Amino acid sequence: MASIKNKQNLAQSAKNLRILLIDENTHRADLVTAALGDSRYEISHLASPSGTLLKQVDQLQPDIIVIDIESPSRDILESLHTIKNIDPKPVVMFSSEEDTDTINQSIESGVSAYVVGDLEPHRVKPILDAAVARFREFQKLKTELSDTKQQLNSRKNIDQAKRILMKNKNISEDQAFHTMRKTAMDTGQKLDDVAKTIISMFNSL
Amino acid sequence: MMKPEKTQLTLGFSPLTDCAPFVVAKNLGYFEHWGLDVTLQKQNSWATLRDKLHAGVLDAAQMLAPMPIASTLGLGVAPIHVLTPMVLSQNGNGITLSEPLIKELLSVNKIFQLDFPLDAKLLKNVIDYRTQHNQTKLSFATVFPYSCHHYQLKDWLLSGGITFDDVNISVVPPINMVDSMLSGDIDGFCVGGPWNAKAVRGSCGVTVVTSSDIWQDSPEKVLGFLASFAETNPNTVLAICAALKQACNWLDSVPNRFETAVMMSQEGFLGEPLEIITPSLLGSCLTQATLSPRSVPSYNQFATTVDGKDVNNPDVEYGQWLLQKMQDSGQIPDNTETTGCIEGIYRSDIYRQISPLLAKLG
Repeated sequence: MASIKNKQNLAQSAKNLRILLIDENTHRADLVTAALGDSRYEISHLASPSGTLLKQVDQLQPDIIVIDIESPSRDILESLHTIKNIDPKPVVMFSSEEDTDTINQSIESGVSAYVVGDLEPHRVKPILDAAVARFREFQKLKTELSDTKQQLNSRKNIDQAKRILMKNKNISEDQAFHTMRKTAMDTGQKLDDVAKTIISMFNSL
Repeated sequence: MMKPEKTQLTLGFSPLTDCAPFVVAKNLGYFEHWGLDVTLQKQNSWATLRDKLHAGVLDAAQMLAPMPIASTLGLGVAPIHVLTPMVLSQNGNGITLSEPLIKELLSVNKIFQLDFPLDAKLLKNVIDYRTQHNQTKLSFATVFPYSCHHYQLKDWLLSGGITFDDVNISVVPPINMVDSMLSGDIDGFCVGGPWNAKAVRGSCGVTVVTSSDIWQDSPEKVLGFLASFAETNPNTVLAICAALKQACNWLDSVPNRFETAVMMSQEGFLGEPLEIITPSLLGSCLTQATLSPRSVPSYNQFATTVDGKDVNNPDVEYGQWLLQKMQDSGQIPDNTETTGCIEGIYRSDIYRQISPLLAKLG
């Protein structure tokens, strides 16, 4: 029995999400931590993050960061992506002010963050669930967009390479395409890479 | 007198020495004079200040000079057109190195005293020494990715042949700079007042160069509005600018600057003691706890430069120059369309409408 229970624990901890909570209000942080006691979230609390936040993010590799919107440390989080090229993480910001919804509308299209009203312990879990879901959706859209862009570019390259071959070898479009496909298969390259090589060869002539 | 469309206003500012124009305009009743009921809201994070401006929660805000450009181009945020009709201050930043780094610098270069502004080549020798002896990289902090601090630190290091690849760069909020240095997390930083002075007073760092030594007389903080707000509330924009311009003019006189330091030492603004806030306002750069301060008359400039030029005009050339700095730092993605964008952001045409209004005051 014991071993089965252990296995279950392992499976559970593999799915656990690590949260870094940045809040100067220790009392609130304790309530939040207690509210998440029996959930898939594992919480680490940082009360006064001066200087140590970067280290914490580095060591903890949190899946989600939860921060008071008025905390000066927000600028550190903002810079992680820009300066340090660290993958964006979902950031949940909470605010005790009334204007939460308005601010939320303005940031929601840009970053992986969103703002919720004051952190009330009983609301914390649904908020985090929603944040994770939204972040995944956002990342999926972003990946799809970059894939589509990539495909468009690759089609453009192939067309351009075809035209170069047609003009220089005086062959038909079909023949040009077959030549490229054969080269790709013979050399084990992608069609896009063959196209790029042809374009750069002719550009450098 | 013109009638402002909106009179109840919330303006955002960052607790730094160069928020002085906001503090003065509020305390001396300049906003009221122009028919405005202004609430000043202290903002601890530049990103939050920006988001609140974008959302319309703040009607206008003190911004780092490159921020309206970053907002308009959508750098790190959904793009939204932000403009500035007025520069609020020039210079005001400094680079401070930690006491242990200074000791190392003296020993590696075999010298016994420092000349200010410090030649960055002396720091380069430290970096070369550390590389040869497989020691860790030095760590430096600035206050925000899109800030003059970031580009000034980059330019000063470059003047000694050091690139950002040779050091670790991070962002640390101004209020945490001194603590981060004390705990040994960073070896140096570029920040605005009063935080350089605080590091020196606490014998924790040495201010080796000021921003006016690196870039002479460049815009530091600007007044930012959403373009949509400025379009629907043109008179309100002019009224805010007129009040802040009066405050900047008042700040030109040295005795007034001491009074300003007293206002800013209050809780709710900087909440720091006078001995930390006052020096830079009086053109004095504290260097090292054991040395005399250095005279830097242009340390904080609010209305007129030492050689008599207008500080507050948001000249398009400034904007273009900052855009170039942003580009040189690799912050602008290749496919971003920037042609003609600065003309819509740095708006001298609005600024020029203020002086006739002030002239009527007599």
